[in-house]
Amino acid sequence: MSMSSKRKAIDIAYQAITYIASSISLLALSMIVYFVWTNGSGLLNIDLLTKDYHAQYFNGELQEDYTYSTTARPSDLDDSIYYSERYGIGLADGKDREGNPIILVEYLAPDSPMLSLADKNSEEIISVEEDMLVSKVSFFDKATALRSFGAENMINELNEVDEFREIVYTSLGGGIRGSIITTLYLIGMTMVLALPIGVFTAIYLNEFAKKNRLTSTLRTLIDTLTGVPSIIYGLMGLAVFVPFTISTTPATSGNLISGSLTLAVILLPVIIKSTEESLKVVPDGLRQASLALGANETQTTFKVVLPSSIPGILTASLLGIGRVIGESAALIFAIGTAVKDDISIFGKSTSLAVHIWSMMTDEPANIELSSTIAIIILMIVLFLNVSVKLLSKKFMKPLQ
Amino acid sequence: MNTNTKRKKRVDQLVRGLFMAATLLSASFIIVIVIFIIIKGITPFITDNDGLGAVNIWTFITGTVWLKGTAFQSNLYGVGYIILNTLYVAFLALLLSLPIGVLTALFIAKIAPKKLAEFLRTIVELLASIPSIVYGLFGSGVILSFVYNLADLFGVQSKGGNSVLATVLVLALMTLPTITAVSEVAIRSVRKDIEEGSLALGATRTQTNFKVVLASAKSGIFAAAILGIGRSLGEATAVSLVAGNAQSGPNFGIFDITSTLTSTMLKGLKETTGIDYDIRFSVGIILMVVILLTNFILNAVKKRVGNVNVK
Amino acid sequence: MDKLVFDIKNLDLYYGKFQALKNINLTIEKNKVTALIGPSGCGKSTFLRVLNRMNDLIEECKIIGDVHFHQENIYKERFDVIDLRTRVGMVFQKPNPFPMSIYDNVAYGPRCQGIKDKAKLDEIVDNALKSAALYDEVSDRMKESAMDLSGGQQQRLCIARAIAMEPEVILMDEPTSALDPIATLKIEELINDLKEQYTIVIVTHSMQQAARISDQTAFFLMGELIESDQTDKIFTQPKHKETEDYITGRFG
Repeated sequence: MSMSSKRKAIDIAYQAITYIASSISLLALSMIVYFVWTNGSGLLNIDLLTKDYHAQYFNGELQEDYTYSTTARPSDLDDSIYYSERYGIGLADGKDREGNPIILVEYLAPDSPMLSLADKNSEEIISVEEDMLVSKVSFFDKATALRSFGAENMINELNEVDEFREIVYTSLGGGIRGSIITTLYLIGMTMVLALPIGVFTAIYLNEFAKKNRLTSTLRTLIDTLTGVPSIIYGLMGLAVFVPFTISTTPATSGNLISGSLTLAVILLPVIIKSTEESLKVVPDGLRQASLALGANETQTTFKVVLPSSIPGILTASLLGIGRVIGESAALIFAIGTAVKDDISIFGKSTSLAVHIWSMMTDEPANIELSSTIAIIILMIVLFLNVSVKLLSKKFMKPLQ
Repeated sequence: MNTNTKRKKRVDQLVRGLFMAATLLSASFIIVIVIFIIIKGITPFITDNDGLGAVNIWTFITGTVWLKGTAFQSNLYGVGYIILNTLYVAFLALLLSLPIGVLTALFIAKIAPKKLAEFLRTIVELLASIPSIVYGLFGSGVILSFVYNLADLFGVQSKGGNSVLATVLVLALMTLPTITAVSEVAIRSVRKDIEEGSLALGATRTQTNFKVVLASAKSGIFAAAILGIGRSLGEATAVSLVAGNAQSGPNFGIFDITSTLTSTMLKGLKETTGIDYDIRFSVGIILMVVILLTNFILNAVKKRVGNVNVK
Repeated sequence: MDKLVFDIKNLDLYYGKFQALKNINLTIEKNKVTALIGPSGCGKSTFLRVLNRMNDLIEECKIIGDVHFHQENIYKERFDVIDLRTRVGMVFQKPNPFPMSIYDNVAYGPRCQGIKDKAKLDEIVDNALKSAALYDEVSDRMKESAMDLSGGQQQRLCIARAIAMEPEVILMDEPTSALDPIATLKIEELINDLKEQYTIVIVTHSMQQAARISDQTAFFLMGELIESDQTDKIFTQPKHKETEDYITGRFG
């Protein structure tokens, strides 16, 4: 008997669908990366990491001893920028994300009076900076130059008079400094909480616990934690850790501490399992040698067993950090969704991931900045994964 | 026993106590989770909810409408249809991701040359490490418009693309890496001599793969499916961005908007108070019950499937 | 001339740099049982797998020489390996039934070749099981899992599975080494019956088994074919010292 051509065709068809199915993963990854990069790379710059998210509003007026600028229009200034020599300021038209007209500050001469204005709301000196937006300039004897009239109009109005009454301007916002700091705080606090508890639990289970009902019950209780979706952890954080921190710290609402506590519980099973794995690999001979030399259990554990399992603990830590960075649902409940620029561990703010969610649930959703944050998250997660892989290889080698 | 040894022993006891305390603490969390969520979740059913009246449990569990408490001056919370919706999208997602995942796993384990297999495995690992919010972003940015255009092609008006189909696509994408990875392990562990037995009978590599290898890896693949369903049931942020928030249902049409248990818990979180806030815990209880029951039932089925023989 | 089913000339086989078979020259005669004996690692199983090209599954395996199956070199370019394996069947050392029903195991091969007709399949399965002396024991539970059978029954099932393809040759790689003495005996009786219809090549680590059931015996040592002759001659008047040493149990 030999194969008919019909069966050969069926064979090839099966092979074809296998090849097609396998390419879907590659296709999906490419699409995700492409989408995130196309939408977010435009905003990627250092400023992003240091700026505030929320736009700040300023009301400024000329100081008493102001002087005009004497800088001529720089030659490298684009034609679309309108320049006022006496005030040393260059403005251009633009559109905000919703399509409304805005006026951008494109250039400020070093001797521009706009650089030191008196703040109408306080005693401070404030300054207009490049990349800020001017909402309006009001005058003493004539109509206000609004942003809807355009940059050219505003410059002309400024050039016509000796002084103006008030300039209202805003910083651009859209920076993620607050979320980055929050994320770093969360990583630090969560690891400080989760690592000791997790490692100690692993040590107890692996080194000291007897094989009885109690131990297997404890193990089961810990194992079931892995099947719990993170949103449930969030609920627990809200129900337990938020009231707890409110009553024991200066916090008055969800805060970074309650968030870290919640994340720590999420990380526990991962850390316990990974540490246990690396503890198991430590040969019993080492322990016995230590005990035979007169060391007690504590010394044996800390001086002999633990050091050998450092790679496993390190791996778990890296995985844990990745989890903290990527976690969203749990923190939405355990902390909140308010994006903040000034971060206190006793107050609310968003991690990078929650920041994305907060923006995506706004109307309209800020897909560009969300994508930029996604790029950052993906790069960090990629780096962590590569590190874990390299670490595992190094860890495995000496034992083979 | 000299004092040094005594001291050492006491240190040991203390430290051992410390370790045990850590273990008890770790083990206690699952209990804490259950207890507190139940306590908070029961509240809407037994208190007056600021004059709106206690929520009726039966209506809650079987209800088909979900009306915001304080906004609508109602306590009409029905989670019944949401349970159906959640299971519906989870299983539909599996319908997509299981075949694709298993075939990919087969390719990686048995067909691809070493370098390609390693490459593809890395791709799958990378997909697995993408956080759910990024999948949600991708869903919101790409999948929504895809579904919207698709619906348009069929002459159906969809709510900006938010739909059952969008939710299913996002969930399928998210569970794909898990299913692929677990299936690959199952396929790799099929006895080599079973494969050789098939080849020695004159079967082609493809016939061997599909008729014998996959059949032998059945129970591992089933386990992968159960993991996939579990993940789909619990997925929150990604789903909340593409589901569409259906206030009533159940919603079976693929271009209809839908709600899942998790998206309901996240809905309008920025502006909530009172009963609308507490009810999320009640939904949380339902979610845990649904996950437990589904796992239990599927595992029972898995045991039976393991004993029945397939051609 | 057509008494020779296999004619192997100057066969060398390499696993990477290691040479596992050195200059093998051997013929396999039709309707005879040929036993391959020798100590562990001598290459007898490797040689067996040359005959149905199962060595192809190992990446670093290289073959030099001629292996003729009915005057056709099976290692030539574009040779139909699938077809070869339908004509040269194999039974493995550890019974390896598929995780399916008894019926489906035996019907597997024919189904792969495209036979769908239920009546025909029933006939093939029944005949194969009868030829393998298993029919009486399983006729009432053909739809049950093959994994529920005893070791000896599973091995006979594997033989039935191979027979269902109506091969000319059945290769057996230490088929009884994982079985108890009674099951072993049953299989040996079976082999004796089978040789009327099939040509059998059997690798065995038991010289007693070789002496009991084979017509021709070939003795392998460290990748070389030391001696090959009629079984009674090998065991009573071996021509080479190494053969004699092995047979008398001085090594291996």
